[in-house]
Amino acid sequence: MKVIHFFKHRYIYFAISLCIILGGIAAALINGITLDIQFQGGTILKYTYVGAIDSQEAGSLVQTALGKTTNANEQTTVAKDEQMLIISLADNESITSQEQETVTSTLTKAYPDSQLALAESLSVQPYTGARFFKNGMLAIFLSFALILCYVGYRFRKIGGFSAGCMAIIALFHDAFVVTATFIIFKIPLNDSFVAAVMTVIGFSINDTIVIYDRIRENKTVMGSKTSTEELVDTSITQSMSRSINTTVAVFVSITIVYIFAQIYNIGSIKDFALPMMFGTVTGCYSTICIAGPLWTMWKNHEAKGAGKKA
Amino acid sequence: MKSKRVFFIVLLITAALLYISFFGLHLGSLNLKGADEMRFGIDIRGGVEATYTPKDLGRAPTSDELESAKSIIETRMDAANITDREVTIDSTNGSVIVRFPWKSDEEDFDPQKAISELGQTALLTFKDPDGNVVLEGSDVKKSYASVSQEDGSYVVVLELTDTGSTKFAEATGNLVGKPISIYMDDTEISAPTVKEQISGGIATIDNQKSLAAAKDLAAKINSGSLPFSMVANDANIITPTLGSSALDTMVLAGKIAFALVCLFMLFYYRIPGLVACIALTLQVVGQLLALSIPQFTLTLPGIAGVILSIGLGVDANVIVSERIKEELNSGKTLASSIDAGFHRAFSSVFDGNITVSIVSIVLMILGSGSMLSFGYTLLCGVLLNFVCGVTASRLMIRSLSGFKFLQKSYLYGARRIAE
Repeated sequence: MKVIHFFKHRYIYFAISLCIILGGIAAALINGITLDIQFQGGTILKYTYVGAIDSQEAGSLVQTALGKTTNANEQTTVAKDEQMLIISLADNESITSQEQETVTSTLTKAYPDSQLALAESLSVQPYTGARFFKNGMLAIFLSFALILCYVGYRFRKIGGFSAGCMAIIALFHDAFVVTATFIIFKIPLNDSFVAAVMTVIGFSINDTIVIYDRIRENKTVMGSKTSTEELVDTSITQSMSRSINTTVAVFVSITIVYIFAQIYNIGSIKDFALPMMFGTVTGCYSTICIAGPLWTMWKNHEAKGAGKKA
Repeated sequence: MKSKRVFFIVLLITAALLYISFFGLHLGSLNLKGADEMRFGIDIRGGVEATYTPKDLGRAPTSDELESAKSIIETRMDAANITDREVTIDSTNGSVIVRFPWKSDEEDFDPQKAISELGQTALLTFKDPDGNVVLEGSDVKKSYASVSQEDGSYVVVLELTDTGSTKFAEATGNLVGKPISIYMDDTEISAPTVKEQISGGIATIDNQKSLAAAKDLAAKINSGSLPFSMVANDANIITPTLGSSALDTMVLAGKIAFALVCLFMLFYYRIPGLVACIALTLQVVGQLLALSIPQFTLTLPGIAGVILSIGLGVDANVIVSERIKEELNSGKTLASSIDAGFHRAFSSVFDGNITVSIVSIVLMILGSGSMLSFGYTLLCGVLLNFVCGVTASRLMIRSLSGFKFLQKSYLYGARRIAE
């Protein structure tokens, strides 16, 4: 089997990743990062209706009735041929169910022929949202710390701490790519975001560990004279068909889910599946092109240091 | 050759579990719930989720107050015939969380109004048989469950205020031998019979079936003196039409994706691929049962957890199949290739799965709602992955390799099989 030289071309991969990261940051500066009301607090009410409604007018009616700044706009779904009126409150305010009733009665009175019906409503206090967001972030960082400990212990034969650190860098890389997808496609960060990041982290860490496992095994098989570069490149090459097959299987599955969600306009699934599509690819890429070469560099650096001392 | 049978035994078990996971199992006292009775979160099936907090209360509510608030909400839901529900107390944040599905046949159901009504202050009244109010909720200082000094049965004790004592002494004096009905809003919650005049300001209601029943009644009576009403500032309503179509669509998408993955595995890995398909089916079935038997609520993030664990299951099978192929190509016999392949693949599947389960346990501990659901399905999936992707797969491949006509190199995607 011909060994693929990943290490030799590492700067190309690093450059690609750097471009993606910079692209993500640029998108964040241009588009801005929007937190969904699940994190930020606020209220959104969605109504289905028939006929025509002037959303501007509807918005100002609700604003007068509630005494709170309101935005309103329309949305149509392709597959179901439905029209939706979306009422959202500015300033991240949450309103009580009594106030929600006021909104509904105001609208049904103003448009008696439109068969207005509440399809969905969500109201979150800013305080609750912030707590949810904080918990999500805490969960992500705590998982990272525990992964570092576990990998450090299980892969001590190949220098567990360095391997753990590189795995975490790959995870940050992937979490960033997923976040960038949300920002670039202007999807507000909501609980789909937490789920997508966690899922991609799960895939990515599994991927990295499969490669580390191969390195650990080959270290014994190939003997200590083999250079780290050769060891890592061989291990990655040997696992290549597995990496590709698994990634393809998962990617195709997620893509099917995404296509269905897109056709039937299921927002929450769409917001999850699209970033996941990028996530599965980057999960595999980061292991092969980032974690492996970076770890080799660390090991080479260590060896050089040891050589100087001697 | 006993081992040849193993494949068919595993296949049979898979088929049996598949049946149970779809339709459940009801044998006498054994009652396993299948997918048709699965609990879905409101994001999937539609429904209402609301978090109630005390309105205009300058302090954190006590746990007794929250119990009372919960009992008010539950009594009202009983009255409205909403039995499929979850009402939980979040004592750290001083709130009561209510979740219930919105059945698609309830077309004139007004969820916004329902949320408002559930949180209103309860009107607790004690009425004589003619319907006259003899005592009000505010006349009760407090109520608690206790054990009778005389016969050790469970009772509910009511401590009345001074005005309450006077009113109650007068009423019980007139009503000896007759019942006094206790109402919350318009629902009768208890109708004890007056045995004698009660003038000391302490009344007991005896003959409670259990401590839980006594506590429940005490909490309901306390609700009458609850000094606040509850408002839902955090609320989420999703119509059943929106919810159920999402579920149908996702189930269809899942079936297609699963079929494609199976086709791919069959085409690419042949016999190990076939085994992988059965192992994956077993894993999915196990996952369905892990949700439906304990009636764990499946939400959209929960489905994400299922997807991830199926992905990991595919990965485990791919790793094993690749390893077997490698071992065969290196010139080993079929039996030793299969053993070596599983042995070598195990450490990576083990470490991968343990790491992912660490993540899922963190999510279960820290997360509530969506993160908890994700963590639970993921953890179940990872555990099942060990059983299905490793043990069941190994049993099946070993068994199939015993058949002479299946000992062909192309059936394992390998270049050769050493004799």
